[in-house]
Formats: sequence, structure tokens, C-alpha cells
Amino acid sequence: MIPVSVITGFLGAGKTTLLRRILRDPVYSNSAVIVNEFGEVPLDHELVAASEEILLSTSTGCICCQVRSDLAATLLDLLRRREAGEIPPYARVLIETSGLADPTPILHALMTDRTVAATHRLESVVTLVDALHGAATLARHPEAERQAMLADRILLTKPDLAPDTAPLLAQLRRLNAAAPIETATHGAVPPHWLFAPGQHAADPAALATWLEATGHAVRHSPDLACIAIEREAPLPALALTLWMQGLAEHAGARLLRLKGLVRIAEAPERPAAIHAIQHVVHPPEWLEHWPSADRRSRIVLIGQGIPRHFPARLLSAIETEVAEEMAKPGFRPPRCP
Amino acid sequence: MTPPELRALIADCLALWGVAGRVLVAEDGIALTTPDGTPLRILPARRSEHPVRWWLERPGQRRPCTSILGLLRGLRNAVGAGEGDARRLRVALPET
Repeated sequence: MIPVSVITGFLGAGKTTLLRRILRDPVYSNSAVIVNEFGEVPLDHELVAASEEILLSTSTGCICCQVRSDLAATLLDLLRRREAGEIPPYARVLIETSGLADPTPILHALMTDRTVAATHRLESVVTLVDALHGAATLARHPEAERQAMLADRILLTKPDLAPDTAPLLAQLRRLNAAAPIETATHGAVPPHWLFAPGQHAADPAALATWLEATGHAVRHSPDLACIAIEREAPLPALALTLWMQGLAEHAGARLLRLKGLVRIAEAPERPAAIHAIQHVVHPPEWLEHWPSADRRSRIVLIGQGIPRHFPARLLSAIETEVAEEMAKPGFRPPRCP
Repeated sequence: MTPPELRALIADCLALWGVAGRVLVAEDGIALTTPDGTPLRILPARRSEHPVRWWLERPGQRRPCTSILGLLRGLRNAVGAGEGDARRLRVALPET
């Protein structure tokens, strides 16, 4: 039986960061990873694909909405290829859900699909909660609440950004009294703590019954939109800076999540991984090299009530302006600190 | 940036700020009306007026804007949508 762990958490909670950290641990490096992405442009798998893991990306939609057709087929196909020697003999499967996924149907499929259940066992559900935005997210998004309720382990991320986590911890305790809660900055938590067998592994039949009874009530909010931007030409660092400032200023709390791999004109050989959650914009992380031959800038935003073309229109306006300024004599580009 | 492109961006911004207003491409720039009926105009600056890029006009007031972000900030204030969370960011380039 192959153990399967589910890593879930709302947009921006730090799932990809945690996964990257886990895969650097020699004990967990032989894991097959399934990354589910919500949106037209798959990106998370590019951010994860720094190690030798077996990595699959599903981007046809949110995994919880098509779990029987996607997840079961993916797991069984992986198993077939493993047995045929086409891929390395991975020891476990890690599933990173999209931030908008209700994990209920995922767990349901793992435990009730006969073929999957005969070959795989659910080991644990790890839910990440952002210490800074967690309370507001739990209040506004039923998917986030369900993620916390179903956790075997809850990992409170970015505690360094939150002055007082006591109210959030109390909120999480009300939702899930059983799951141990740990805090971690940048995914720094021992993997064996995350993947110790949880309550789902202990009594899968009882959980399957409960899942069946509760049904799949939670669905994505109707005004959520996933917006993708792609650029062939590299972006000047100044244009990226101004664009992210403009987004944070005008989209504010409507910007649930932004992720991107950006080709910066001043350093085109090293992609800049950018992240933002609501108005909190993180400094770009410079990756050592491009994860694939695709060197286009790709940015994905998930927003609530953001006009579909606003981010691209704003970026185009800023690009034009910056290009005009850079063409002027005496223009000084931004420098390293 | 062409007037239709600017009009589309401003219409997006009004929607984002939750402001009901009409935005039109006018002969000399962009015209819009605030929820309280105040007429606003956005006029492109002449090349000789550099570094000003646009003028944001309301009755009795003419404000210079040197960037698209400055224009949007001024417009947001003019339509009564309150202030956004303005903060300066910086992309530090990797050391070579």
C-alpha cells in the first residue's frame, strides 16, 4: 500500500514552499508529487520542480471538482508506470491541492474508489494556515474552513508576520480540536511530524461515511477569477516593481494570490519568482536557473471581483511608460542594495 | 497609451473601487462623471510639459500627474473612493 498525504491550505498559505522543503529531505525525496493548479497557466509545478521527484501537474480545473476522473486516474497511471519500471519506485505520494480546493472529495475518492483504495492508503492531511491572513480567510471562504476541519495536522505559517496568533489559534481549535498545531517559517518543520499517520489513516471507514453524509456542499465563490498574464519580452525590474505597487494599492484585499515566474530584463538568465497575498508583496526570489525551456514570464493572479483585464492593462500602461523613461538620456536603472 | 486604452483601464479601476461612473473618450482626452455628478477630465500633457504626462481636471482645479500610478491615485481620490494601500516596493536585482 502506498501512503498518500494531502497538503492543503488556502491561497498563499505556503504549500509550495513547504513542498519544496520536504523534497530536499533525503527521506522524502523519492516522493511522487501531484500538484493541482487552479487556472489556465500551470505554474506551481515549475516552482516545485527543482528536485528529482516524480511530478505531475493537473491544471484542467480544481481537483476537488473532477476528483474521480482526475485524481484516481492520475494515481493509477502513476502506479502502472512505477510497476512497469518507467518511473522510479517512489515511496509515497504527496498531493498539493489548489488553494481553493475543498479536500472533502479528494479524501472521499482516496477512500472509496475501490482500485485506488486497494493500492493506496491515506496517511495524513496537512493543512497550512497563514498566520497573518488566516482569520479573515476562514471567515470569508468556506473552502478554508473545510481545509482546517479535515486536517490531521495544522501548520501555522508565517508566524513572523503576525503580531498575535492567539485569536486564530482559538478559531482553529473550534474548527478542529484534535489536530496538533505547529508553527513554521518558510516551511521549516520536520517532515516526519507532518506525515505521521493521522486520524484518517486510523479509521478510514468512519471518515468515508462522514464524508458521504456531509456531501460536497462547498464550491468556489462565484466572483473568484483566475487571471493569467504571459509576456515573451523580458520586463524591466522597474516596470515589475511599479506594477506590483499598483496592484497592491488598487486591488488590495481583492487580490487573494499572485504567483509568477518573471524574466527580468536586467537578469534574464535567472527567473524571479514573485508572490503576493492581498496587499502583502514579498520580495522576488531569484531562482538559479529556469526550470524548463519555457522562458516566458508567466504570472497568475487569483482575485475576487478584479476586472479580468485590469492587471494586464495596468502592466501594459506601466511598460509603455517605463520604456519611454528608459529611452531618455541619463536614465539610471535600479541598482542592487 | 491611446485614449481607448486609458478609457478601458479607468473603467476597470472604477469597477475595482466600486464606483458607478461613465467613462468616455472625448475629443481632447477622457471624460468621466463622479457619482455626485462632478465632471472630470483627463488630458494628455504636451511634450514640452514633461515630466507631466496627464492633467486631471475637475471644476476649479487642475492637477499634474507624472505617471499612470499617480493619475490613478489622483482619480481614486477625486471620485471619492478613498485611499488605497500605497507603499513603495523595490525589486533588488541579483548580485552578479
